[in-house]
Amino acid sequence: MRDRLMLSMRASHAFMTIFAVGAVLCALWGSATGDSFYLRLGTEALILAGLAMSVELLLGYGGLLSLGQALYFGAGAYVSALVLRETPSFWLAMGAAFGFTLALGIIGGLIANRVRGVYFALITFGMAQVAAKTVYNTRELGGSDGLIGVPQIAVPLGPYSVSAADPVAFFLFVLGFMTLLYLLLAYLLGTPFGRVLTAMKANEKRVPFLGYSIWRARMVAYVVAALVAGVSGALYPMLRGFVSPELMFFETSGDALIMAVIGGLGTLVGAFYGAALITALKSVIGSWTEHHLIVIGALFVAAILFMPKGLIGRIRPRAEAILGGKRAIRAEAQEEHP
Amino acid sequence: MTATLDYIHFILAPQMLNGLALGVSVILVALGLTIIFGLLDVINMSHGEFYAIGAFGALALSWLGVNYWLLIALVPLLMIPVAVLVERHLIRRVYDSADRHTSTLLLTFGLALILEDLLKILFGPNTHRPENPLPGATDLFGIFIPTYRLFLIGIGIAVVLAVAFVTYRTRLGAMVRAASFDANMAGSLGVRVGVVYSGAFAFGVALAGLAGVLLAPIYSVFPTMGHDFILMAFTVVIVGGMGSIWGAVIAGVALTQVQAISSLVISPVWADPIVFAVMVLVLMVRPQGLFGRLGHA
Repeated sequence: MRDRLMLSMRASHAFMTIFAVGAVLCALWGSATGDSFYLRLGTEALILAGLAMSVELLLGYGGLLSLGQALYFGAGAYVSALVLRETPSFWLAMGAAFGFTLALGIIGGLIANRVRGVYFALITFGMAQVAAKTVYNTRELGGSDGLIGVPQIAVPLGPYSVSAADPVAFFLFVLGFMTLLYLLLAYLLGTPFGRVLTAMKANEKRVPFLGYSIWRARMVAYVVAALVAGVSGALYPMLRGFVSPELMFFETSGDALIMAVIGGLGTLVGAFYGAALITALKSVIGSWTEHHLIVIGALFVAAILFMPKGLIGRIRPRAEAILGGKRAIRAEAQEEHP
Repeated sequence: MTATLDYIHFILAPQMLNGLALGVSVILVALGLTIIFGLLDVINMSHGEFYAIGAFGALALSWLGVNYWLLIALVPLLMIPVAVLVERHLIRRVYDSADRHTSTLLLTFGLALILEDLLKILFGPNTHRPENPLPGATDLFGIFIPTYRLFLIGIGIAVVLAVAFVTYRTRLGAMVRAASFDANMAGSLGVRVGVVYSGAFAFGVALAGLAGVLLAPIYSVFPTMGHDFILMAFTVVIVGGMGSIWGAVIAGVALTQVQAISSLVISPVWADPIVFAVMVLVLMVRPQGLFGRLGHA
């Protein structure tokens, strides 16, 4: 099927290819210079891109503003850390994080999908806040210190094995993992479910008249977003060797939102560019002042005021024109000025 | 029997009074949130930061030697022009975007980041403890309660009554409610809707500032102090019904009492989850909250 969504997805794929190639080049540069700090930072940016992708799915495609995606990110990270401390097995940790965030996402979805609009935003905010405080106050989970001493593991991939201790290899592995997640989500958005989701964002009242269940679409989107955030979070302790309650705090959810908005809502690939940009900014500003919030906040406000479609959303129409001919540009113009 | 009475007298009653003092402060913050939402359809994510600005404003002015009792009036007044500027030049620009709720929420969230960091730059990340203007305790029917908390309860009730009176019993309040109910119709009947919007936002922010001034002597003052408070305020607003004044008052008292009494039985760190559970239960039964929206009831 050839339509607006497929065309915009093809443009996003082009941007994803550029991003992946750029990331591989960075990895090559890193391995040539023997750097590990920036590669680790880059890996963290990729993990955060996973969290930002879950925001993309909910807000960018479904129009559902969640202020608590860090809940699932943190839950995945904690479960992964707990498993890894007992048995250092990658697949076991991933499986446990997947199962736990699935259950948590279903429970959270049942609660949050009772309400819509701003209530949804506030209740997701509240759920994450309460979960974070609970973890913060639970001594068994390390309380405010979090869990330390997560061993560095080897990721078995068929005949090969990637060591999390090797910055280059782990960076490339996480890049591959996130690209896979991206492709899965892109596929999902092309299915009938994805169409219902985008239809719901366009006009929530009409969708039920066409015979589709709003509740089901919202629930599936919410649970899938929880899973994406959860498995991304599960990678975090493998990278850093520890987890802390900060991973669940609103700051983390807020960062994911900022990344998704600055990268471009409704582009999916914007999550990667946003995460890379914000992580880089934080690192650069952080090297000479601790007040990076004010810069990022100002950038975010400016993006909402002057570039509401984000970086990728701004340049994507051109990519679409190259990929799909002039017709696409006309369709875009009509969409903006009907 | 006497044991029960003693329990009520010396443990339950003081705890409930302390809960009420907290409740009054939560209500002041939630009242601003609910008014801004009820009128402008904006979730003000920077409300907690305005609350912190109120507290820091009081702190800075008291360093300059301004009398505390004057601050209670002065700080909220000083915040009004700031709020008007924010509404005029930032929030108003995204009113007409496709999804107003989302874009205004994100905008005020970005603003919150900026304001929080500004406070950190100006005052440093450390915790300040302003002097208590009313030290000592008062004997109220055999219950000793810090005098300042009693004063807080009194002034809170006065503010709530004043807000309710203005909203429901004056011509100004009628204009505000009309603008909330149908901005176009109110505009064509001569209500200056733009001014009402700015005014309502400024008023909500001033209430947050007032809460900051009033709470500074009880709680410590630090740049992220709004974070702790805002969840409770949001919960109160959701349970009470977004945009409802009486809803905010009733939910504010009820939820802080739940919090106060439950911390007698279990560890206070679990009070937040319990309050949240109450919110979930209310939403299960009445997703729109306990009361209807400002101007719609």
